[in-house]
Amino acid sequence: MVVTLDREQDVFGAISHPARRRMLDLLALADRSVNTIAGQFQMSRPAVSQHLRILLDAGLVTEQRHGRERRYHLVPERLGPVREWIAHYERFWDDRLQRLQKLLAKKSEE
Amino acid sequence: MTNTIQREIQIPQPREQVWRAIADSAALAEWMFPNDFAPRIGHRFTFRVPPDPKRGFEGIIVHCEVLECEPPSRLAFSWSAASLVDTRVTFRLEPDGDGTRIFFEHSGFDLTQPWCKPAMKGLEFGYSKMFEKLPVVVAGLAADHN
Repeated sequence: MVVTLDREQDVFGAISHPARRRMLDLLALADRSVNTIAGQFQMSRPAVSQHLRILLDAGLVTEQRHGRERRYHLVPERLGPVREWIAHYERFWDDRLQRLQKLLAKKSEE
Repeated sequence: MTNTIQREIQIPQPREQVWRAIADSAALAEWMFPNDFAPRIGHRFTFRVPPDPKRGFEGIIVHCEVLECEPPSRLAFSWSAASLVDTRVTFRLEPDGDGTRIFFEHSGFDLTQPWCKPAMKGLEFGYSKMFEKLPVVVAGLAADHN
């Protein structure tokens, strides 16, 4: 359970940086090599690699070797915890709005 | 990566009655939580979600500010709690025959930004805590309800 929680934090931490979100956007369109990704950014290659490492650790991307280059691939299912976060609030409001309806029904009976 | 929760509910009671249930501190305490709401634009208030030691939940305070208040048709307030910073809750009431149609919206869920904002650090709950606690709260509320 604790492990799952840490993993969720990784995902949220991983998408907290604008550069990493842009990398995910790029990878959503197609698998890309580190060079192609780096070409889209002003930052140094090592900095790009470091961001990719964080995405890898969070499980949001995987890397595959194609000959001499490595290609990165988006794993969109890993964004599940982010959607789950909203789902909690959906359940919360469904419950509250149901209470509102019951309250109104009770008041109009009085 | 922004998201919004939207609900549309039809209610047999007229708008004025619905308004009294959503824009009144005592009524809000009945279906939401204890609060110091006042129907006045700019009024800052809190919802105090009570602790539940049985479930290991220490309670949480939601910070709000009234943003729109047009009786009996429109109420909006900001909602900041845990990982949510300055989201917006809006109730729009439209007449529907003798009853009311409620358009509910909770918007401003920025799926990425909250974690960058320094304001996050000032909040009493970090997002990790929220993950632990919110499902417990929601489950607790559902249980209380039954």
